[in-house]
Amino acid sequence: MDQDVQILLRERHCAAAFELLLDRYREKVFRLVYSILKEAAKAEEVTQDVFLKMWQVLPDYDGRASLSTWLYTITRNTSLSTLRAESYRKTLPIEGCDPPAANWEAGLRQLEIMQLLQRLPEVQQQVITLFYLQDRSVEDVARMLDLPEGTVKSHLHRARRALADLVRS
Amino acid sequence: MDCRETQERLLESFEGAVSPLEQGQLDRHISECPECAQFAVLQSQLDLRLQEEIAVPQLSPGFRAGLQARIARQRREPWPDWLPDVAHLAGSGVALGLCALLLPLPAPVVLGTGILVAFFTYSLQAILVSVLEQRID
Repeated sequence: MDQDVQILLRERHCAAAFELLLDRYREKVFRLVYSILKEAAKAEEVTQDVFLKMWQVLPDYDGRASLSTWLYTITRNTSLSTLRAESYRKTLPIEGCDPPAANWEAGLRQLEIMQLLQRLPEVQQQVITLFYLQDRSVEDVARMLDLPEGTVKSHLHRARRALADLVRS
Repeated sequence: MDCRETQERLLESFEGAVSPLEQGQLDRHISECPECAQFAVLQSQLDLRLQEEIAVPQLSPGFRAGLQARIARQRREPWPDWLPDVAHLAGSGVALGLCALLLPLPAPVVLGTGILVAFFTYSLQAILVSVLEQRID
């Protein structure tokens, strides 16, 4: 994976290697940031921060970790720093949600699914958001969040069951 | 296949991880079990809503140009951020040493005055750097 980029780096063609990485990963990095920050404009700014850091450290890449692992680690750390620094997370008050309807089918139509999602633990929100953003690829989600695939599936199932409970309640 | 296993397989089916054989067993159980049938309908509707609501965000067309501009700005910065501070500290130290050696004044007076002047010039430099950075941004 990314052998072409690694060859370019070994030959000290850092700019070309960076361009390849940018083409290959910018959307995935953006989605990972978005799954953490949940705001597209801010996610785009942080995606730029991530690639700027990547541009600065790429000449020091030693090949020990895979490039994608390295990039996703920078992405998660940068996103979480932004989240902490700005107290960026906006939590919708539960009392602000519309009350569920008498039967769950009507309730599911009425309730904003994103509001329900925000009532789940943070890791479940990230996993379920990335799962749909990454075209239902458990493998991608696992790689991006550095979790085993089994753990991703477990978070997905818990999130789906919890959402169903919220709809029915 | 019992209810617990059926519901677990059903959740796995949203990840595309269920074989045709398992799907057949799943369908048979659901057709005979009202509780699992309700679970299946609710989960299918939830899956549909999540698919609709979690829309793939797009990077703006100016993303690449913006990033290139930031990289170009970094390239233009010939010195690291810490250099002015180190240069100031070194300069103040040398000036203070020379003053202590050459001026016909008691050492505590030279040192006290020197530290005050160094603090004042450092503050002035910090303000100047901050103003310049704001202008560049």
